Amino acid sequence: MTNATTTVTQEETAGQSQGRLILKRFVTNKASMVSLVLLVAIWVFAISAIGIGPIPGWWHHDYRTPSASIVEGGRPTVSLIPEWLGGAGIYLGEHPFGQNRIGVDYFAQTMRGVQNSFVVIVLLAGVATVLGTVIGAVAGYYRGWVDAVLMRMTDVFIVIPSIVVGAVVGAMTGGLGVQYLAIFLGLVAWMGIARLVRAEFLSLREREFVEAARVAGASDARIIFKHILPNAMGVVIVAASLIAAAAIILEASLSFLGYGILPPDTSLGLQVSQNQSAFATRPWLFWFPAFFIVVPALLINFIGDGLRDAFDPRQKRFSIRRTKELPENAEQRS
Amino acid sequence: MLSFIVRRILASILTLLVASFIMYVLTAYSDNPLKDLQASNAPNAQLLIGQRIERLDLDVPPPLRWFGWLAGAAGCLTPFTPCDLGTDLNYTPVTQLLPNAAASTVRLVAASTILAIIFGIITGIVSALRQYSAFDLGMTFVSFFLYSLPSFLAAVLLKEFVALGFNNWLSSGDSSIGLIPTLIIALVIGVIMQALVAGSNRKRLITFAIAAAATVGMLYYLDAVDWFQQPGLGAVGLLLLIGGIVFGATAIMAGLNNRRALIGAAIAGVLSYASYFALQGLFDISTVWTIGILGLATLAVCFVVGWILGGNDRGQVIRVTMVVGLLSSLLVVADRYLQAWPAYISSPRINNRPIATVGEQTVGLSGDMWIMGLDTFTHFLLPTISLTLISFAGYTRYARAGLLEVMNQDYIRTARAKGLSERVVITRHAFRNMLIPITTIVAADIGVLLGGALITERVFAISGMGALFAVSLDRVDVNPVMGYFLVIAITAILFNFLADLSYALLDPRVRVK
Amino acid sequence: MTNILRRRGRALAGLAVGTAAMVALAGCTTTTPETSESGSAAPTGGTISVAQTNAATALNSGTPDANLNTNGMVDYLMGAGTGPGSFFYVDNEFNVVPDETNGTVELVSEDPLVVRYTLDPEAVWSDGTPMTTTDMLLAWAIGSGYYDDATYAEDGTVAEGNVYFQLAGSTAGLDTTEFPEIDEEARTLTLTYGEPYVDWNLVNLINKPAHVFAEHAGFGSVEELHTFLEETPAGDPENPGEPNEQLSALAELWNTGYNITSMPEDEGLLVAAGMWVPKDFQADDGGFISFEPNPEWRGEMQPSFDELIIRFIGDPNAQITALQNGEVHVIEPQPSADTIASIEAFGGTLIQGSQLSYDHLDLTFNSEVFSDPAVREAFLLTVPRQQILESIVTPVQPDAEVLNSQQFVTNQPQYEEAVAANGYSDFAEPDIERARELLDGATPTVSILYNTENPNRVDAFQLIQASASEAGFNVEDAGSPDWSSLLGSGDYDASIFGWISPGVGYASLPQIWQTNGGGNYNGYSNPEVDALADESQVTIGDEERLTEIMIEIDRLTREDFYGLPLFQVPGLVATNGAVEGVEYNGGQTGAIWNTWEWTLVG
Repeated sequence: MTNATTTVTQEETAGQSQGRLILKRFVTNKASMVSLVLLVAIWVFAISAIGIGPIPGWWHHDYRTPSASIVEGGRPTVSLIPEWLGGAGIYLGEHPFGQNRIGVDYFAQTMRGVQNSFVVIVLLAGVATVLGTVIGAVAGYYRGWVDAVLMRMTDVFIVIPSIVVGAVVGAMTGGLGVQYLAIFLGLVAWMGIARLVRAEFLSLREREFVEAARVAGASDARIIFKHILPNAMGVVIVAASLIAAAAIILEASLSFLGYGILPPDTSLGLQVSQNQSAFATRPWLFWFPAFFIVVPALLINFIGDGLRDAFDPRQKRFSIRRTKELPENAEQRS
Repeated sequence: MLSFIVRRILASILTLLVASFIMYVLTAYSDNPLKDLQASNAPNAQLLIGQRIERLDLDVPPPLRWFGWLAGAAGCLTPFTPCDLGTDLNYTPVTQLLPNAAASTVRLVAASTILAIIFGIITGIVSALRQYSAFDLGMTFVSFFLYSLPSFLAAVLLKEFVALGFNNWLSSGDSSIGLIPTLIIALVIGVIMQALVAGSNRKRLITFAIAAAATVGMLYYLDAVDWFQQPGLGAVGLLLLIGGIVFGATAIMAGLNNRRALIGAAIAGVLSYASYFALQGLFDISTVWTIGILGLATLAVCFVVGWILGGNDRGQVIRVTMVVGLLSSLLVVADRYLQAWPAYISSPRINNRPIATVGEQTVGLSGDMWIMGLDTFTHFLLPTISLTLISFAGYTRYARAGLLEVMNQDYIRTARAKGLSERVVITRHAFRNMLIPITTIVAADIGVLLGGALITERVFAISGMGALFAVSLDRVDVNPVMGYFLVIAITAILFNFLADLSYALLDPRVRVK
Repeated sequence: MTNILRRRGRALAGLAVGTAAMVALAGCTTTTPETSESGSAAPTGGTISVAQTNAATALNSGTPDANLNTNGMVDYLMGAGTGPGSFFYVDNEFNVVPDETNGTVELVSEDPLVVRYTLDPEAVWSDGTPMTTTDMLLAWAIGSGYYDDATYAEDGTVAEGNVYFQLAGSTAGLDTTEFPEIDEEARTLTLTYGEPYVDWNLVNLINKPAHVFAEHAGFGSVEELHTFLEETPAGDPENPGEPNEQLSALAELWNTGYNITSMPEDEGLLVAAGMWVPKDFQADDGGFISFEPNPEWRGEMQPSFDELIIRFIGDPNAQITALQNGEVHVIEPQPSADTIASIEAFGGTLIQGSQLSYDHLDLTFNSEVFSDPAVREAFLLTVPRQQILESIVTPVQPDAEVLNSQQFVTNQPQYEEAVAANGYSDFAEPDIERARELLDGATPTVSILYNTENPNRVDAFQLIQASASEAGFNVEDAGSPDWSSLLGSGDYDASIFGWISPGVGYASLPQIWQTNGGGNYNGYSNPEVDALADESQVTIGDEERLTEIMIEIDRLTREDFYGLPLFQVPGLVATNGAVEGVEYNGGQTGAIWNTWEWTLVG
């Protein structure tokens, strides 16, 4: 992380474009880059394991159909301790994550859960980001009554806690499938972004480059999307990453309460909820989905943190060293 | 100012109207309110379906039904018209359901919010001051982790490990900590302490050694006196702790060089310590009100002491004295609670398993205020922790970012250039400004917390509003859901309003218009 | 100088405030120093705590809105309409057991059906008021709908007239009775039925105390109420009148007066005939209702502990943790292998049995694909009932067997006889070969409706789908969380759902099996079955004939390939070992049915 500080100063002298600078800063942020790579790896792994729709995945079990036999009482067959350490050797076995009570492969189930939480993240964050950006941009750009109406609308949605709307929406759409759930939840999650984008637009619209574009005869839409929006992208991207992390938790919480995704489809929250009673006896049924809820959310948070630093490196400059440079006896003079 | 408030109220009412409409329609369409009867093989199921349709006007489309609800709810705005939020499926007026439920939820949410703010801000400040230290990186990781930990997971883990683990340990008869746990705790505390102190390797090593050794000694002592079965601070412990508060609070708030502040703090400390011996008899027959009055009396006495000592910076001395007085008396009260502990855990209804996993009280337990207070504490401990974790992570991040942002401002540089000590720069100049963004977050967070209470209340079986909402939503019982919504929405609006007002308080540049 | 004076003035003011505070302080302490209690929790006697998923909402489960299982338990404990203290209770083998503490029931004549209820001379309510025939008369007035003059519209809503007492059950049976004959001297009430009523022995006339109703509705005395009930004419649906104010006042107490959100201040609501009286209550999930022994209880069965608590814990997993933590002593969780293993893991005691509900697969007779009996048979032949049982029930209940009757559940003595005669056991294992033959190369598409929120049904569906497709069926998933409103809609070819066997009583028989019966969602129609169902309703006191009728219906539905019973839902009661004497009860009362046999140990 400290590397970033030095990089910033170097890049500034090199005089590169803003976008490149940001990218450079982000890429040099180790924690965020590692998180990004891991997250992509998890998703690619999960999606390829059980396939999308008609395309089959490489894993030989389905997340719905039970296997003919229950291996080792449903215990995970994976072994990670090599033989030379006195273990059984490294292998996956038939059901690496074990099986549930009717013999459905738990690895496939967990991967399906990861896949569903991926769908939720992408759709929910996507819908919320697009909607929030457009509403915030229009409100901030036009100000006046447009702004007033749109912001009152935002207030309306902010008043209702997302988990409450989620519960109601989940109860309505839970049976329809994960896509609908995610889209509907996105429709009630855009308020934060809208407010941030509006604030950004309010200040950016007064800048000279906007005036220049206007004089040059650019249309409102062009000014909004071509001129101002790219300058507000930082806010949007950071907020989107936060929504994405929150989306995982929201979906898991809703499914836990029974309002989210319903069987025969499965979700990580649902698995935790269903297998809570297995905590003492078949802990893997609890821990695997719990792991895949927490870890992606954690990774997204780290990515978001890296993005924030990349777009707005100001916070990096403060260093405790400066306080150390103060005379030791400063205390006495106060 | 007045016109600002009036406009805010009008806008809020409009917001509420539209939001309530959306909520009403969404809830009404969320499921089939007749599902239990339709699946019933009772001979008169058809009759019951008819009755329910008639009672709840299910033949009227929800958007129209909303007007009926609104007409009743509008009565709540004026004191002269009846406040009618409808009844639930059980014919109970919603206005009667809400107060009970709201009380539990408010207790839970308020406690968690306060704890989260205190711990979040402290951790955030320390993190910022020790930026990129092991402590900072560790806290960054911890806060991201808590951020990513769904509250239901946290709740399950707390129950399994804290409640069951602690109770099993306590009731096993052999409640000694054991060697290895002692060492681990000592190591962890040592590592945290050395990260906090920072500085040269030598200094860190010394800090680590002292902290770890002190921890081991402390735990050993606690074991030796069987502290967990018969806890208490005792005269000596209390003296040490109050002494710590006197010096700590003075050092942070006024600096130890401020003689008057130190003397004021010392007097407050001594008075509290004396009250420990003087008040035990009164405590035995105390009610909550007694303690409240004693608390006010303490504050009043401390105010007078501070005022008399006064000096150039009278306000500061009074503040220090009052804070020390309050904290020290809290310790005295805490000690009295600890004295009641052995009786509490040996009660047949507790049976040496004090930490509860469900409910708000031990049914049928009776005793004095100390016993009942402990009972409330043991029941609300886990839910409060689990709810605190949600917002703690966020507050830490915002406090850290806020302080870092502020520390880069020119006026901080100016303050330093004037030669002010780092303590003064931080407590007088930076801290206040750092609070501004936090205020917004806290206000916005109340809604999220109330929503989060939904899960916490379910997992810990607390009969709050979340439970009311969940049960009613399952039955598509719209009126209680709307009652719940009203409370949440009004709280959210109110807190946002308070946040706006507090900007003006914290930042003189902001004028409410 | 002035400064000092001012200071002194302030100090004096401070002193005054201080004195005032001391006075207030003295006023705010507890009046009597609880020297005995201070520092130690009050010693308590035996307390047993039971967890329930649903919160109690009323001290009366007889109204449609309060008809929840936990309210039913409250009624049972208080002896209102069921349970010791009333005329009878139902035990865990579904025998109707008379309780003669407060009175007896006798069948005087079968045709016409005449039943006599006699109160014990010493029968008394928990507040010390003696029971009178008015108590029974009121219970009859509530249950019979005698004063109602309503006509109903097609959809069940009241078209015209008044319904006074709202009932969770129906007035069926009692609605044919004439106004009862009452003999004050002998303390008897005699009911004469206009038509034979098969469940006459389930009519219980000790319910709620008449003196409380009299007081609430503004009658001067119980006698006045008695006279009023005698003098008020029966309701006439042909000529509905204006609402009767006094009846409405009585009905209000019955309909909503017993609904509670906190411990009622009105002690009248707590008056009970049974061995327990409510002591304290807190509403909603997380709350509780506690009971203390009825001080006036004279019955032979006596509880051995002095407080019974029912705690409401909605989250089933929280119940298990609470049991482990000793916060409750008895729980009735939905059994699963994990639940059982985790309770065993901490040394809890498991008491297993079967619930009264059973899951079944019904074929829709008016759907296109199943109009052909051969297709019906082929489909039934593919259903892997043993496998379903093994994946859902066996892990919980190792000795469970596939349910082979649509009429009886395994807890009932008639079950064996029914299985021997009905032939459902032919479908024990799937016969894919035979199914293929019957289909003769056809690949019919079958959509199955089930509740996607119930994991058992989801698993059953998945297993049936896998097996049926082997025989060439194309099984479509028509599952929905809103399955109940889709029942009977005809948008599906088969359905998986559960019935709750009543355990006792025969009144619901025509509901499911008769052509166009209220619960006949799959368009089943067989004239023979219709005739048998009709006969069952007028068979009085002849249990053997009733059993024959039900077995015959069982056999006929099997021949029509009606569908298949799948399994009986397993049930579980668990204690943490601190309570002995708990017995499994699959009925609605649940584990608390024999609290008088419970003892605390250790």
